[in-house]
Amino acid sequence: MRPILKYGAVTAIILMICSQTRAQNALQMSIGYNVNIPSGDFRNLVTNPAYKGFTAGLAYPLNDRFSLGLSFGYNDYYQKYPRQVYDDGKGSNISAVVSNSIQQIPLQITANYTLLNKGFIRPYIGGGAGVNFISFDQYLGEFDNPESSTRLSLTGEAGFFIPLSRYSSTALKIGASYNYVPYHENGIANLDTWGIHAGIRFPLH
Amino acid sequence: MIKKLGGLTFLALTAIVLFDSCKKDPLNNLTNDESRIYISNFDTTAVFSNYKTFSITDSAEVIQDNHSVGKELHSFDSTVISAVAQVMQQRGYRLVDKGSSPDLAVNVSKVYSTSTGVFSYDDYWDYYGDYYDPYYWGYPGYGYYSPYAVGVYSIQTGGLEIDLLDLKNAVAHDNKIQFVWTGLARGENVLSTGNAATGVNALFSQSAYLKTN
Repeated sequence: MRPILKYGAVTAIILMICSQTRAQNALQMSIGYNVNIPSGDFRNLVTNPAYKGFTAGLAYPLNDRFSLGLSFGYNDYYQKYPRQVYDDGKGSNISAVVSNSIQQIPLQITANYTLLNKGFIRPYIGGGAGVNFISFDQYLGEFDNPESSTRLSLTGEAGFFIPLSRYSSTALKIGASYNYVPYHENGIANLDTWGIHAGIRFPLH
Repeated sequence: MIKKLGGLTFLALTAIVLFDSCKKDPLNNLTNDESRIYISNFDTTAVFSNYKTFSITDSAEVIQDNHSVGKELHSFDSTVISAVAQVMQQRGYRLVDKGSSPDLAVNVSKVYSTSTGVFSYDDYWDYYGDYYDPYYWGYPGYGYYSPYAVGVYSIQTGGLEIDLLDLKNAVAHDNKIQFVWTGLARGENVLSTGNAATGVNALFSQSAYLKTN
């Protein structure tokens, strides 16, 4: 994990330096680290936050406030529960240590609107819609029960950009999001999460 | 632009692969004890207080890939048989000889299943090829062809099964002996002598209904 963060940071710094300061209509890329916290029914499977998450995206500014783009991400959720006896009510009991391992890869079309396009801190709101590729492995002891599925993915987010300088198109991006993922499998209605993220947005040339 | 997007897509896929390789592997985070599962099933129509006596097998049946291949009495088997007999008596059942018309019969089995597959060395020959030094054979600078061989693997997993059979009502059930309770233990080292009593106790402790009164 450490090498990834190190090389990621180096890459971000190089891109930041290489980016030109005035590039209002250039395709923009953003990459960021995020921590997601399960919400709603998802907490019946995992309550631990996902600390290994990232989001990357491309956005095309339609004007100085509004942009449309495409983004994808990755989040890894895991939780192990102490041994417990599970009763199915039909004469079967299973004593097991249950481990839930869930990976979500959202792929979305995104829209962002910058509320203030001047100043040191520039708040924005955004949203995304697309699909979420879900890999769910539930282990009873060492025995895996894998499932893969693709579900709708909707995201609403808010945060702010902090430009690196007054005329720079490169900016830090910090924000929070709510991710709605209907699931409807095994009695779990959704795999929703709250998320916080921090990253960088820079123009591509 | 297309070239740029292609590059970005490649970077994205690489990032996903890198992050996915960082995901926590649940199997690496399990102790041997945590790897084991204990499954018990019972006939919901059975009234366990109607049974008063039981008899238990003198050795363990060995079932290999759905076929009985004989009986064994190693230390594991005798430990299991003793532990089951002890728990059954603690639950109020009286141990009798099998010739004394017991109400219940107890079978102990070790169940093995084998899975096999084939893999080709070609998949990773390039990796290993770098380590086979042609200089050793007097041919410095030569390369290697891929080997012809394919590998065959065979994985065997085992479990402990304990069955309670209804002898008391065999005639009433059209001369068929019915299973009224089955316990199955699986996982790491589940067939080792040190874990035999633990497995038996786990199966019976989750079956509190299994008693004479």
